Amino acid sequence: MSQPKPTPAPDAELEPTAEELVEQDLLVEDVSIDGMCGVY
Amino acid sequence: MRLVEEFELGLDAPICITWELTYACNLACVHCLSSSGRRDPRELTTAEAKGVIEELERMQIFYVNIGGGEPTVRKDFWELLDHAAEHHVGVKFSTNGSRIDAAAAARLAASDYVDVQVSIDGATAAVNDAVRGPGSFDTAIGALERLAAAGFEKPKISVVVTRQNAGQLDDFKAIADRFGAQLRITRLRPSGRGADVWDELHPTPDQQRSLYMWLLEHGEEVLTGDSFFHLSAYGEALPGLNLCGAGRVVCLIDPVGDVYACPFAIHDEFLAGNVREPRGFEGVWRDSDLFTELRRPQSGGACASCGHYDACRGGCMAAKFFTGLPLDGPDPECALGHGEGLLAARGADRAIPAPAVDHSRVRPPARVCDENPLAEYLAAGAPVRSGAGA
Amino acid sequence: MSAEVELDGRWRLHPQVALRPERFGALAYHFGTRRLSFLKSRRLLEVVRTLDSAPDPIAACRAAGVGEEELPGYRRALATLADTGMIVPAEGEAAA
Repeated sequence: MSQPKPTPAPDAELEPTAEELVEQDLLVEDVSIDGMCGVY
Repeated sequence: MRLVEEFELGLDAPICITWELTYACNLACVHCLSSSGRRDPRELTTAEAKGVIEELERMQIFYVNIGGGEPTVRKDFWELLDHAAEHHVGVKFSTNGSRIDAAAAARLAASDYVDVQVSIDGATAAVNDAVRGPGSFDTAIGALERLAAAGFEKPKISVVVTRQNAGQLDDFKAIADRFGAQLRITRLRPSGRGADVWDELHPTPDQQRSLYMWLLEHGEEVLTGDSFFHLSAYGEALPGLNLCGAGRVVCLIDPVGDVYACPFAIHDEFLAGNVREPRGFEGVWRDSDLFTELRRPQSGGACASCGHYDACRGGCMAAKFFTGLPLDGPDPECALGHGEGLLAARGADRAIPAPAVDHSRVRPPARVCDENPLAEYLAAGAPVRSGAGA
Repeated sequence: MSAEVELDGRWRLHPQVALRPERFGALAYHFGTRRLSFLKSRRLLEVVRTLDSAPDPIAACRAAGVGEEELPGYRRALATLADTGMIVPAEGEAAA
């Protein structure tokens, strides 16, 4: 999604893009079958 | 929404459950979470148990942790294991090892669908037998030897951490390594007979912190049943979901078909229903008042203002309940010491709920008191008794 | 991070894996390894369910409506499932 560049603001470049947010969100998580509390 | 937040709202079926097959047991461990010993005459029949297995299959519950009492004392134990395998329900069973003879070991080694967990609570006979009874260490080690000889791969060794064995963690690891087993160490809860001995047996704050450090170091190879999520307040969370799964992703089916939020919460307060009801286990799981209540977003109560609540979730409700603490406050073993403070402040005024269900063969009086020690044993109900502190 | 496995050709769910749809996606449990995985989107569940009817996993993703910008995340997810043995290359391309 392109946006007009704002006047230089150092922090703006550190904001994650939409793509980066999607990438960080792992779609598969493994947990041990023994990894839930309340089991003998 | 984070995965943990999804789970706290509950799923349409548990991910896995604990199923205590019988209250009968040949041992009389002092801290038994289910106060086992005598068989209950109302135990589920073989046909009823098979029906439960088929219901678990329909609900796609992948894994069942079978325990008791000592599950292998049921005459239909092997038949039920086979039935589970035929119906796509994976099984792990916990045992003291007394019925794992060479034939049983061979049978288990020949199947790929059953996991075996042998219980010990000391890395030496002296420490173990003080809790589990004379000869119990040798029995457990014997079972592990027979499993190894039969070629059974990767049994589990399950330990409840106590004040007496907290210094033996490396030794437990060595025992596990010796048998090619996976070590599992779990939290002592003041549940069942555990309520009687909790004051003397639960780890000290120093031991608890050392335990946490040890788990950080060994977390990859050692299982915990996610039972130390209350220790997340020390810092980095340990592997596991780190939440109370009771009534949300796990629950207990007891030998008479009663459904409790978890095996450490055997008390009317946490009883959701019974599998013998027309709605069956699935109906109890989905519609019971108790589970509906547990799945509502929890506020955190007195813990909400603590910066660590997100990590520790206020700890274990069974630990709070059976030490007479309010459920909306700190865990008795709160990493920050808030539980200790509360226990001390409330002292002898704390009313400690007795377990609703007690199949102990002999229930010794926990401490000197002027009550008839057989009073609870004979009573129909579940009297609340005042507990003195340590 | 280890090199990602090549997701070429037709793949399928391992025969010992059970899928259980959930609000958030699905649970996947491997009866052989006892591994439990959480698939965190319904679309990923759809991809995994339709794997063996697509020429390759990326095609399965596109067929399930995965957008180009989401593909890297899905590729990573499928690589994880391959690493843990939950999905495997389909056998016998020549078979009926």
